[in-house]
Amino acid sequence: MMTSRRLLQLAVIVVALAYPIVTSGSPVWQRLGALVLLAAISASAWNIVGGYAGQVSVGHAVFFGIGAYAAVVAFVHLDLPPILGAPIGMLLSVAVAVVVGVPTLRLSGHYFSMATIAVGELVRVLSSTSDWLGGAQGLGGPAMPRTVFDLSFVSAMPYYYIFLAVLTGLLGLTWWIERSRMGFYLRAIKDSERAARSLGVSAGRYKLHAYMLSAAFTSLAGSLYLCMFGFIDPESGFGILLSVKMVVMAALGGAGQLFGPLIGALILVPLEELSNSLLGGQGAGITFVVYGAIIVIIARFLPSGLLSLLERRPHPGTKAAPANPNPASGHAD
Amino acid sequence: MVELSRRALTVGAASAAFAFATDANAEGVVKIGAIYPLSGNSASAGNYEKMAIELGADLVNKGDPELAKVLPLAKGGGLSGLKGAKIQMVFADNQGTPAAGQNQTLRLITEEKVVAMIGAYQSGITLTASAVAEKYGIPFVNPESVAANLTERGFKWFFRVTPVAADFAKAYSAFLKEQKAAGRKVDSIALVHENTEYGNSVASVIADVFAKDKLNVSMKVAYSANSTDVQPQVLQLKEKNPDAAIFVSYTSDAILYAKTMKEQNWKPAILIADDGGFNDPAFVKAMGSVTEGLISRSVFAPGKPGSVAAICDALYKKKTGGDGLDDVSARALQGFLVLADAINRAGSTEPAKIQAALRATDIKPEQLVAGYDGVKFDDKGQNILASTLITQLRNSQYVSVWPKSRATSELILPYKGW
Amino acid sequence: MTTTLLLQVVVSGLLLGAVYALFSSGLSLIWGMMNVVNFAHGEFVMLGMYTAVVVWTAMGGGPWASVPIAAILIGTLGVLAYFLLVRHIMRGPMLAQILGTFGLALFLRYGALWVFGANFKTLPDDLVGHSFILGGIRFEGSRVLAGAVGFIVTVLLHLLLTRTSVGSRMLAVSEDATAAQLMGIRPQRMQALAWALAGAATGIAGALVATFFYTSPTVGETLAIVAFVTVALGGFGSVLGALVAGLLIGVVESLSAFLIGPVYKDVIVYAVFVLVLWFRPQGLMGTT
Repeated sequence: MMTSRRLLQLAVIVVALAYPIVTSGSPVWQRLGALVLLAAISASAWNIVGGYAGQVSVGHAVFFGIGAYAAVVAFVHLDLPPILGAPIGMLLSVAVAVVVGVPTLRLSGHYFSMATIAVGELVRVLSSTSDWLGGAQGLGGPAMPRTVFDLSFVSAMPYYYIFLAVLTGLLGLTWWIERSRMGFYLRAIKDSERAARSLGVSAGRYKLHAYMLSAAFTSLAGSLYLCMFGFIDPESGFGILLSVKMVVMAALGGAGQLFGPLIGALILVPLEELSNSLLGGQGAGITFVVYGAIIVIIARFLPSGLLSLLERRPHPGTKAAPANPNPASGHAD
Repeated sequence: MVELSRRALTVGAASAAFAFATDANAEGVVKIGAIYPLSGNSASAGNYEKMAIELGADLVNKGDPELAKVLPLAKGGGLSGLKGAKIQMVFADNQGTPAAGQNQTLRLITEEKVVAMIGAYQSGITLTASAVAEKYGIPFVNPESVAANLTERGFKWFFRVTPVAADFAKAYSAFLKEQKAAGRKVDSIALVHENTEYGNSVASVIADVFAKDKLNVSMKVAYSANSTDVQPQVLQLKEKNPDAAIFVSYTSDAILYAKTMKEQNWKPAILIADDGGFNDPAFVKAMGSVTEGLISRSVFAPGKPGSVAAICDALYKKKTGGDGLDDVSARALQGFLVLADAINRAGSTEPAKIQAALRATDIKPEQLVAGYDGVKFDDKGQNILASTLITQLRNSQYVSVWPKSRATSELILPYKGW
Repeated sequence: MTTTLLLQVVVSGLLLGAVYALFSSGLSLIWGMMNVVNFAHGEFVMLGMYTAVVVWTAMGGGPWASVPIAAILIGTLGVLAYFLLVRHIMRGPMLAQILGTFGLALFLRYGALWVFGANFKTLPDDLVGHSFILGGIRFEGSRVLAGAVGFIVTVLLHLLLTRTSVGSRMLAVSEDATAAQLMGIRPQRMQALAWALAGAATGIAGALVATFFYTSPTVGETLAIVAFVTVALGGFGSVLGALVAGLLIGVVESLSAFLIGPVYKDVIVYAVFVLVLWFRPQGLMGTT
């Protein structure tokens, strides 16, 4: 049992590391790997507040856009390599998360989601009126790489490894939170905020901390996006579709689970890219008909996400009870 | 380190170029990639452009006897410079996002092994897509994006056939000054534009040019594209009642403005609509009857019978089942023909040779579908002979009214509307 | 600036707001009854609009024909969506709703692109009759009709929920499905009924909006966000709240577009929305 699990882990690590080398003959597949990882970073970042704390933000593009714009502004206005804007974007995102989070995190359920949608749209419209941010036309990064620090490569391989490193760090941090006291409190808040409060958990504070952390990493994903694509405009930075995609990716894989967003990204990003490559040229929007239908089918049969498939297997007879690591509870009745 | 990445770049480009050349020649087929918004908000325009480019490919591959008399490229049987190699178009959907534009361009270049690219309608997407082509050393012909910065990036593989926003602004300015000289009142001008890339860039250039030319832009109204309602804007216009109004809008808002102006019963003496939505065949069909006398710009006017433009217009109508060429589709077709002409002259599918042929392009106005003064690229890849016509909507059809030398009909003012 | 002009702006805003209320009422009903946010709501409206377009092009029928047809078609679509999808995703977490209905939205939006093409469609603008002037203020026939129907539909839905036995059974299910079942109410039947009603109201809205708006596959996106904000502002479970919120948003939008600038109207609407939630987390007329 232990060894087969170890083997599986090893295999995953080998595949993850070797992927861009194996696919080096095909820039498209290589790039697809990088795109999956980038999507997984933002969805995993969303997962901290949306999955673990159960606060379904549908406005996370705000942070993604701040990250992307911070990077491009570093280049356009300060003549620095875009990636140097990333830490500034993260700090700014944390600050915005406090400003937005303090009033909205008090809202329950759908109200919070709707408020985050409104904030997202508000920021999108405002960004398109700012000449400093390039207005609606958007801003471009370095047209041609000046130094390697511009992170502008022809091959997707460097992006792949950078994204892999960031994702690993983020998942490591999430794993640590999961097992820390904060993770315990977040789960309690998600189950029942009232109960958690009555036990003396400062729900507001923990939710806000999760929101801030989530914002910082979403912002980093935005900065990385800018380095790879070299262009940002209000729609691709702050668009509502971007926010919804983060939610959908995490929900599809399994929100509130460490690898849920990654699984979601592994399914959705290739699905989107491949269906567009195969069907998009015909120009009838079949791409999204297929894409939408597959999401509907997964939601219909696995409403808790794909990872719920694995959960059920060890407990065939029982009613979807969460795995209990404590053997003592086995003979309770 | 700088050196390293640059060298990797050139080596990559050269080896890629070599691979493509052999690949394409072997099959007697020249593959060209086209990236357009085939879904999303601009899908309507994208699909019209796709049909125009398909028509262009048919002209080269199958030919049209009548058109061949004036345009040798259309005599059929493929590209004569490449032993009759046929053009094969590979279309991809940019989904209206810069990211998809870039991903798909990469696929067309590396998987489909296209020898040249054409696209991508929205300026932002043209920007990201052409950056990929530049890195791979593949010629990118842009028939229609107007943002000024596209040709300011020092790119070597980027060629833009269309006039840019400044050309439009100068045409409007000259046109309005002519009206003033003829005794019409043009003391106050309203500039109404949508607030995405297209409207913003065009409107700011118009404002700059007008300021220089001492034309008084008395009010500027920016609004968000895809509005649910435009009544407040129309009421604002009604209150200030400027002598002339210029609209820069996409189709969705163009329809709402036309409807709302009729509802609120307001019309200026001169109503100019900058191309965009007002030239969309769907707009003309639906709103033509309530926008009689609307002035617009277009690179396209059907022209005299027997001209390249007139024949292509007829062929396009046959293909679409009724919709003739308009500003956007004519630019797409023209862009394609420029590229096909260059590949033909290059006599090769090697990207570097196509690039050299594009640089040497010199097409005379009588050979054009679009109403340019010719096609000739400067060092930045901009067509220096690109120009625009001013057209007027008459009985749900645009006719050219300015400049005089190209006009097919007399200008009728004031604006009649409904 | 004359008072008449300002009054005209307010009237335009009120009519617009009534239309917002009209196409939000279906969303509000579902949200209130089942705590489900339908991300495909905009696409339901869009299909209602295409119904009107098709009814006009195929048989030359105006709203009198298209409204009942759209009500039946979209009502059926609602029931289908409930039995085939929503019923199942309700077993999962709240996120499953976003996942499932967003997938449905993409499916419907691009299915429409496939079937109807990308081109913008419009109905002839004299289909509902011309505009008329009352006290110096212009009223557009099609908007007045849509606004009036919006008002009537909302009030009828409100009366249905609060004054009839079907309504009280529906509310019982929404409060506690298990308890309702013990009292002999079949929750699934009530919920399917809610989806049928919501679909019908949305279909009516679409058919009427099409008389003065353009129709395209992506038009639902434009309308959906407005509907979300309207319903959330009005308050959870309050159909009447959505009406008030719709009127408020319409007027705020019109006035801010006229007085401050059209670009900022959305910013102001969203800011008002967030502010209201700051003071009243349950919306204007919602109960906690």
